[in-house]
Amino acid sequence: MAEDNIHLALFKEDKVGQVAEALGRLRELGITDKDISVISGVPFSDKILGRPMSWTRIPQIGIAGAVVGFIIAMFLNWGTPALYSLRVGGQALFPIPTAIVVAFELTMLGLLLATFAGVLLEMMSPSYGPKGYHPKVSDGNIAILFTCPAELDHRMHTAMTELGAELVNRSEVVKL
Amino acid sequence: MAAEVKSLGTVEPMPLEEDLASEHLMFDPRPREQMNQMVMDAMTHTSKRYWIVTTLFGLGAAILLFGTWGYMIFTGIGITGKNRPVFWFTLISTFVFWIGISHAGTFVSAILRVFKAEYRRPFTRAAELMTFFGLAAGAMYPLIHLGRVWVFYWMIPYPNQRWLWPNFHSPLVWDFLAITTYLISSTIYLFLPLMPDLAMVRDRTTGWRHAIAKTLSFGWRGTEAEWYRLRVAIRIFAFAIIPVMFSVHTIVSWDFAVAQTPGWHSTIFGPYFIIGAILSGVSAVVTILAILRSTMRHMNYFIRPEHFDAIGKLILVFSLAWAYFFFNEYILHWYGGEAAVKNLLTFHATGPDAWIWYTMLLCNFVIPVLTLWNRKIRRTPWAVAIITILINVGMYAERITIIPLTLATGRSPFDWGEISVHYADIAIPVGSLCFFIFLYLLASRVIPLVPVWEVQEGQEAHILRPVGKTKVPSVSELE
Repeated sequence: MAEDNIHLALFKEDKVGQVAEALGRLRELGITDKDISVISGVPFSDKILGRPMSWTRIPQIGIAGAVVGFIIAMFLNWGTPALYSLRVGGQALFPIPTAIVVAFELTMLGLLLATFAGVLLEMMSPSYGPKGYHPKVSDGNIAILFTCPAELDHRMHTAMTELGAELVNRSEVVKL
Repeated sequence: MAAEVKSLGTVEPMPLEEDLASEHLMFDPRPREQMNQMVMDAMTHTSKRYWIVTTLFGLGAAILLFGTWGYMIFTGIGITGKNRPVFWFTLISTFVFWIGISHAGTFVSAILRVFKAEYRRPFTRAAELMTFFGLAAGAMYPLIHLGRVWVFYWMIPYPNQRWLWPNFHSPLVWDFLAITTYLISSTIYLFLPLMPDLAMVRDRTTGWRHAIAKTLSFGWRGTEAEWYRLRVAIRIFAFAIIPVMFSVHTIVSWDFAVAQTPGWHSTIFGPYFIIGAILSGVSAVVTILAILRSTMRHMNYFIRPEHFDAIGKLILVFSLAWAYFFFNEYILHWYGGEAAVKNLLTFHATGPDAWIWYTMLLCNFVIPVLTLWNRKIRRTPWAVAIITILINVGMYAERITIIPLTLATGRSPFDWGEISVHYADIAIPVGSLCFFIFLYLLASRVIPLVPVWEVQEGQEAHILRPVGKTKVPSVSELE
């Protein structure tokens, strides 16, 4: 759907019920969930708004990072003494208790760094759905951003305003 | 039904919503626009007094910390009082102190988040910021103490010409790994919940503040997917950073405990250090909250006596726990009867520096226990601020007792010595305190110190639920 058919309906911060109902009305008009985005200043779960479950691969990316961290720790614990052995009288060259400390720290570092990288990666990856923003969102308002065919404009307008939405002019929808 | 109730005549009075609102931030919601404005106002308002104070602390850091350190680099580490047998003196004691302080952010933010303690919401960022700058200040000390700081990179494992690697069996290298891990993860943990608030700043500012906020908010809009990812990431961090926090101070304690030095070689040192770190860190959070509340605009809306009351209870518990660990360690050494350790305990309690040992006991245990049981004291910000400053004085005295005062009384009287305090031993720690305050003051004008979205989320989750003839405060699970 063309981006010039983009619409942004703003609801007051305490009108979550109306937002959920407005989403239902849009679906009744034939607008699919992939053509709708909900933007808010505080998090609302998908269940509250009756929206399809968001997805993320952050836990998997985090686990992959932990595995990489663990492998690096294995190299530091066993690889480096093998590369250059410094034998100290009576002490093991490859002790397990000290290796646990290094393995723990680097595994956690890998997990946390990868989790953060996952957040940034997913935020910056191309996504489906309409793009746009309005500064009033960070004032606690809830915005429904959607694209719809021009012939539905009137019905959509009526449905949204009935529920107390403020329809923002297309030119005011900001692209970040 | 209404008639029946009326005929009874003695209906319990409804709890006044105004009372709840004045007491609890979560029951005193204001429009988000107004809360944003309050936080922005606190952030952007810089008075003449602010600049004078910031400049003084900046000068303090420049002269006392960096000036003295620079002088030390040119002349050598002999300008400090460290000498045989006290090779670790105020520099290492202050290092342990700062690492301890840095435990607060994680404790307040991660542990209270995991346990869903709602009162944490307005001050998590202030605590996380303290962790970040505390760690930054602490992480400088191994470099300062190194002497030849220009070869610090020898600690980093990298393929080099001679294939020499750091010794990963050494607690000092574990220190490097643990502090690096904790510093990086604390920075990210500070940054993640900051993104929505940076977007709020971006929408309301122009100029350099706008440029910083726009860059760091990474195009945050607040879509469902963004919130979901942020929640998942914060949840992973909240759980994963707790064991990292425990590991950091445990490893710091192993710097001492793995040695055969009398008084250090103790299996309880790990948890003893942890509890001390949490006591000192949480106390420092209270001190900072009291200062923020009295110096920054609108902070008395966000930071209320209920918060001092709640953290005051925690401090009381940690003070008792610290005393438990201290006594546990003390009595076993005392009962063990080993001559060197008995000498050490006698030296701590009756030697020329015994006042440090008594300061530790007085400030860490006696003062908090005698005062914080009292609700009125806990709810008085200036009183709690004084108590928490004293606790940190006590915690510093503890580190001085554990490190230089213990090293001064070794296994053999031949090895005994006295502490000799030089200018650098005082200037560098005081300079690092100035540096910490200077950075905090600057950061308070660049990032919002109150996580507004978390406060609003909490306020939306709190309701008064009718139960029988009254209404009771309830929290809904919105996640």
